[in-house]
This record gives sequence, C-alpha cells and structure tokens, in this order.
Amino acid sequence: MKMFIRQLKSLVRLSFVELWRRNDIFALLILALALLVPLSMASPFGASGASRYLDEVALLLIWGFSLFIALGTGARLFPPEFESRTIYPLLSKPISRGALLVGKYLGAVAASWSALALFYLLFVGCALLRGGALSVELVQGFVFHAAFVAFAVAVALVGSLLVTPSANLTLSATALTAMFFFGRRLPDYAETVSAPLSWLVKVAYAIGPHVEFFDMRQRLIHGWGGVDAVVMVAVLAYGAVYTGACLAVAGLLLKRKRV
Amino acid sequence: MKLALPCFVVAVLLALVLGRFGVARLPQVVQGDDALSVAFGDAKSTISAAMVHKADSYFHGGIDMECKEHHNHHDDHDHHDHHDHHDDHDHDHAPNPPIPQSSNPPIPQSHTFDPWGWINQHVRAPEKHVHLEGAKSVELMPWFWASVKADPHNIDAWTTAWYTANTMLKDQALARRILDEAKAKNPDSLEIAWTEARFVYQGGKGDVAAATRLLEEARRMGKRKCGGRLSELAPHEAEAFCNILGYLSKILYDQGEKDRIRPLFDEARATGADTPVVGEIEARLR
Repeated sequence: MKMFIRQLKSLVRLSFVELWRRNDIFALLILALALLVPLSMASPFGASGASRYLDEVALLLIWGFSLFIALGTGARLFPPEFESRTIYPLLSKPISRGALLVGKYLGAVAASWSALALFYLLFVGCALLRGGALSVELVQGFVFHAAFVAFAVAVALVGSLLVTPSANLTLSATALTAMFFFGRRLPDYAETVSAPLSWLVKVAYAIGPHVEFFDMRQRLIHGWGGVDAVVMVAVLAYGAVYTGACLAVAGLLLKRKRV
Repeated sequence: MKLALPCFVVAVLLALVLGRFGVARLPQVVQGDDALSVAFGDAKSTISAAMVHKADSYFHGGIDMECKEHHNHHDDHDHHDHHDHHDDHDHDHAPNPPIPQSSNPPIPQSHTFDPWGWINQHVRAPEKHVHLEGAKSVELMPWFWASVKADPHNIDAWTTAWYTANTMLKDQALARRILDEAKAKNPDSLEIAWTEARFVYQGGKGDVAAATRLLEEARRMGKRKCGGRLSELAPHEAEAFCNILGYLSKILYDQGEKDRIRPLFDEARATGADTPVVGEIEARLR
C-alpha cells in the first residue's frame, strides 16, 4: 500500500510539472486579460455600473479554458508515451498498468485543478475589487467546476486509448461542448424529429456525458443562491459514477493494449 | 522564410490599393464599414437578435424564457406577463417594443420521471422568479449595446434600450443619447421617430407641442416612404405609422379637437395594419 501511494505520488507530480512547464496556462491568462480588460473599460451608451456581463464573459472563458486544459492534459497522458516508447521503461518498473493509469489520471486532474484554482482566484479577486462578496454558490460553483474538470480528463483519457490524438480531442470537445449547451434540450428535440433520429437523441440523452449539470454560471451571475444539498450530492455522484466508468473502460483498454 | 516579410508588405499594399479602387463595390463583397460587417456579414442580425434575447434573459433574472416555456420550472409565472410588465410602467399605455420570442409551440412533456431533467431543473432554475428593476436594469445595457453594434438596424434593440434607460433607469440623458445614436444610424425609421415623440411626450407630462411636431413630421415621413399609398407600407412600418397616428389622436382628443381625428382614423385604416390602435383611434371619434 505504501509503495502504491509512493508510485501514485511520483506520477501525480510528473503530470503536474508537465502541465505547468508547457506554459499553456500563461498563454490562456494573457488571452483572457486581452479580452476582459477592454470589456471592463467599456461603458455601453455611456452608462456605468453594469458588471454582470463581465462575470458572464469571464466565467465563459474560465469554462472554455478549463475544458481546453482538461482535454489537452487527459489526451496527452498516454499517446506520447507510446509514440516515444517511454512506456517500456515505465512498465518495466514494479508498477501495474492500473496503478499507472490511476496515477497519471490523478496527476492530470491535480494539474487541471491547479489551473482552475488560479482562474477562480483571479475571478474572485476581480469580483471583490468591484465590490462583490464571497457566496455559497461561488464555493459550490467551484466544486462543480472541479468535478467537471475531473470528468473531462477521464473522457479524454478513454478517447486517447481508442482513437488518434486529434480525433480524440475533436470528438471529446464536440461531445462535451454540445452536451454543455444543448444537453438539457435533447428531450424537447427528440419530440420534434421522426422515429429513428428521435431514438438516437433519446439514447444520447440517456448515456451522454451530462456536463451541463456542473454549470452554475447563471446562479453565480444572477445571485440565485446555492443548490440544495440533495442536488449537490446527486450531481457529484453522477460525476463520480461517470468518471469511474470512464476510468474502468480506460483500464480495460490499457490492459488489452499491446505494447 | 526570407520572403515572408516582403510578401506580407506586398499583400498589405495590395489590400489598401484594391480597397481604395472600389473592391468594396463588388457585389460579392459584404457591404459595411466595420470589421464586424466584413467578418460576419448577414450573421450580424442573428448575433444582434441573440444579444437582445440575452438582455431579455437578464431582465428575467437570468432565466431563458424560451426554455422556460417548454419546461415550466419551479414557479408558475406566465411568460407573457413579464413583457406586459414593461407596458405597466408606461403611463401612456403605448405598446412597448416587443422582445423577439420563440414561435415554437409548447411541446407536450413526458410523464415518466426523468432524473437528468430533475437535476437540470434544480441546478439551472432559481427558486424565485425575479425581475431586474430600477438601477439594476443597467445590467441590460451592455447586451443592447452589443446588439446594436452587431446590427445598427435592429430597431427592437434601440427602442428597448431607450425604454430601459427612460422608464426603468429613469436616466433621460442616457435615453436621449441612445435615441440620437439610433436616429443617426436609422434616419428613416418610423419606429425610431415614434419613439422620439414618446420620449418628448413622456406620457403627457413632457413637451406636448414638441411631441406633436415630431409626430406630424413622422407622419409625413411615413406618407413619403410609400408615396401616399399607405397600404404599401411594410407591416412593421404600418404598425409604427398607426402608433404615430394613435398618439396624435390622443393629443388631439385631450385638446378637445375631435374633428381633426377623422383623417387620422382614415389613414390608420388605409394602412391595413392589424393593430388595436386603429380601434383606439376610432373610439376617440365618438
């Protein structure tokens, strides 16, 4: 057990260092500043005092960037190891494939969470500067967002063991973005189309990754207050089960993979 | 790589020269004077409408009313009440510029329990339906601004922005700035002309003489646009023209000059517009 934890720790550290070494986060931060600073200075029709639109844009950017980082990190966990054949020295060490998968996954999640924490820190800092205050929904929003990141890393990880890196990124990003924006409208859509397509939409609704559950943006922007504990547990349980299922599939795929 | 810089310089020069000598007049080039026009072309009006929709959602405290119509979440407010709500504040009872709504019919809901739907309802719907009112309405302005930046000819966006500034924020200087900009971008819009008259009239508490002058001017503009054939006015223009006549008839009625209302009624009827204003003018004849 001690050995397993030590193995996990070194794998997590490796993934963590790799993300921060790539400088993606700094590039994204500069992009965010380039978009938000001019927006914060705008005074529409000369009216001042509006701030919700800034929160809206900032949160949308945070969601976009966190998805970008989570998918990129998750998708890069194994393919480079196979391409550069560094998987051989890794597997020659006294470590099981399962432990390797879990360690790498946890490292990717930790690295993505650190980036997310930085984004939220800046968001909260800006909100406080504008006279805002910390709220329950902000904490819940961060927890949900962190769960979403863990979810997205798991989806990208499964994809990376199934298809090529570019196809994986494209498919994962499309599926998650589509569900994020349209997931809750799928039942309505299923009612408006004819039978074969309607069944497909219903299946997609039943088994698709419902990442829209984690989206607390409207609650944060408009101050609706937090969600009930029951709802919070339901959302986190959904995320945990789906992520666990993805990891189980990834474990099977890695076990069967010929290296 | 060595050729990159000269190529770039040549490309920039070529673009400048072609631009000066009339490439912009070619039919396949999107017309417009800003980067947004060139980048998005006709999509601008869709973006503009989406921005107004966003403002509507902000007015309803962040609820997407189009979605709510289908789902009927926690509260049982009637959607249309909220848009009438704008009118409640308008003392002259003029119809407020409508915020575009979905024309989709409501879809019957399934009776089986949908766990995903349950989660979505609880995460994405507030327990209480609130409206942005008073000073908080300033949160709507960035979306109207973005809307008219995307499409300066989105009259709904201009008039709703004006309404927000004038009636909800009670900031007449801001309302005047919006109107001036709207007029500059849409000099021949009957809706904007009518809105300006409403602004001056202020529900009867403003400058009635100036409002009458503006309404008469707008009336002449309406006739000029169709060459006197009022039935040929576009539906939205016919409605705006009737609104102009409705205001004129109200002012004349208040001044006891009922005789001068008859031609207004005839003109309103000639437009063929399906609006209750025609009936209101007729009622003032009696």
